[in-house]
Amino acid sequence: MSFPCCWQKERIEPGECPFLRPGDQELLYNRQQRFLTRCLECSRFWEELPNPDADLRLLAELFPCVVEALLGLRSQNQSLSHQLETRTREAKFLHEVSLVLQTSTNIDEVIAMALTAVTAGQGFGFNRAILLLVDRSGDFLCGHFAIGPRDQYEAGRIWQEIAASELSLRELARAFFEKKMDQEREKFRDLLDTLTVPMDRPDHLFIRTLKAQASCHMTDVRQEPTLEPRQAEALGVREMVLVPLISKSRPIGLLLADNNVNGRPIETDDVHLLETFALPVSFAIDRAALYEQLQSELDRLTEAHRRLQEQQETILRMEKMAAVGKVSADIAHSVRNPLTVIGGFARNLLRGSVAEAVQRQYLESILRETRRMEETLKVAMAVAEEKHPAYDWWDLNQLVSKVFTGLQEDFKIANIDCRLEFHPHLPLMRLDYPQLSFCLRSLLRHVLDVMPSGGRLEIGTRGEEDRQQIAFRCLGAGPGAPDLGSIINPLMGQGGDPGLQLCRKILAGHGATVEQEEGPAGIRIWLPQAAEISPGKA
Amino acid sequence: MERLLIVDDERDIRLLYAAELEEEGYQVKTAGSGVEAADLLKEMDFDLLVLDIQMKGESGLQLLQQIVKEKAGLPVILCTAFSCYKEDFSSWLADAYIVKSSDLSQLKNEIRRILDKHEKS
Repeated sequence: MSFPCCWQKERIEPGECPFLRPGDQELLYNRQQRFLTRCLECSRFWEELPNPDADLRLLAELFPCVVEALLGLRSQNQSLSHQLETRTREAKFLHEVSLVLQTSTNIDEVIAMALTAVTAGQGFGFNRAILLLVDRSGDFLCGHFAIGPRDQYEAGRIWQEIAASELSLRELARAFFEKKMDQEREKFRDLLDTLTVPMDRPDHLFIRTLKAQASCHMTDVRQEPTLEPRQAEALGVREMVLVPLISKSRPIGLLLADNNVNGRPIETDDVHLLETFALPVSFAIDRAALYEQLQSELDRLTEAHRRLQEQQETILRMEKMAAVGKVSADIAHSVRNPLTVIGGFARNLLRGSVAEAVQRQYLESILRETRRMEETLKVAMAVAEEKHPAYDWWDLNQLVSKVFTGLQEDFKIANIDCRLEFHPHLPLMRLDYPQLSFCLRSLLRHVLDVMPSGGRLEIGTRGEEDRQQIAFRCLGAGPGAPDLGSIINPLMGQGGDPGLQLCRKILAGHGATVEQEEGPAGIRIWLPQAAEISPGKA
Repeated sequence: MERLLIVDDERDIRLLYAAELEEEGYQVKTAGSGVEAADLLKEMDFDLLVLDIQMKGESGLQLLQQIVKEKAGLPVILCTAFSCYKEDFSSWLADAYIVKSSDLSQLKNEIRRILDKHEKS
């Protein structure tokens, strides 16, 4: 359809220009505006423009406004392009952060990533980020972690380091998580402690923001009446943003961000972006905390299971021992009464006998053997019962000396010259004094038996870093060295005298090792300094 | 002269204890069971009782409970071949607990200590 072009008219009638749309009434009277918005799109205008009748004066009049509009469009285009670039960067950054947040179940890693993102130049670029978390009991909002420089000097150093490292945000967060987390936690320890607030203070800025579940942009923190002066002082900033962290409608913490070093004002866009960012961070922290709790429960269960197994084994062992104990108790009753009678009457008779009478020696023998059997019985019962092992800290020298003193007379009668050589300043060691005394006494009694012709006996102790030694060395008076096989073999578990078998059990319970010494014949017993006491072994 | 009652189902133990304690200057009576001891306790007064625990018939611990009820203040020494009864609450009613030994000095010392204590009180 053909129509006359109206571009030169100051005013047109409705329907005169086919390009006008409903609502374009203003353009009927405003030629300049009509020209810019409609005529430039009109084919008729472009057909008429080369016409020599065209009003050049009018064209010159309209030209500056066309140029102005063009420049405006160019500027707008640049701004949009910049915005697009920013949004693309933000999207990339959020994607990168989200990847870590969605995949990590380590709460420290999640926190490192989140706070690095808040403070890194590639991220939000805040100078400092502080994370407060609601504790497990729900009673306190605790200062949990903070990141950022404390002053200009530190900021310069850190930012320079980051710039030089050329790390991506993810790499930066990972490096921080692996190397600086503990250091940073300690750096802000005082601040974090100061910022801790009880949850039952609903008026406090932190709790109020958290419960309102809406972020808060404070432009002058020091004017906030509910913030304690020490907290405001510790923060040391005027402006900051507080973003609540909410997971499944449940408040889990608060994220504080500020520019404590460069004082850059916080823009509304920064706040909005931080709010958006808070959502995945909240979920990630909540999930990681739950995972940590789950892991801890799992560890507790595993530990409980292990203990249960141990207890079952102990019960089994105790049942076996109870059976052994019952038998031992019956034996004790059967043996102890006759021993009491035999030994008791021997003593009675001995008191009434003449010093020179040959019967006196017999009675002494009866008495000696009775004592020996009673001692064996006493220790056997203690070992069989094993309910309350008498392990305590004792001086080994004192123990050896005491046992030797008790047998000194017997050695004298047997013509055995004894030499004692004690290692000076032996540390105390953990042992069952009665059991080890019995063991030592039994060994020395057997040494008496293998040296019928007398001779020399060297008894000594020695100490090393982690063990102590008791040693006997026998030099018989007759030809050939005394044969210690009858003592050593039972100690090595090769049958023999029941008393010595009991000694082997006692020594095993102390974690001791026994060594045989050749020419002159000797026995070395090594007791570990820190033996693991095992009632089951004794 | 202080009067002691020895209660033990082993005849030889009774003989030994009687001989040794008489030598110490005590007047000693013996009983081979809880029933026999209860009868003697009804018949005469004693200053101290030496009581075995594991006996045929009534156990020493049962007799001990009966004595605490009926003869309050009579000192009792439990003298037994077992050390395990020390953990039995009933044995705590006795004034002393001794594991039998051929060396009677511990028993003699305890008897003396307890009698002296009672005499003072």
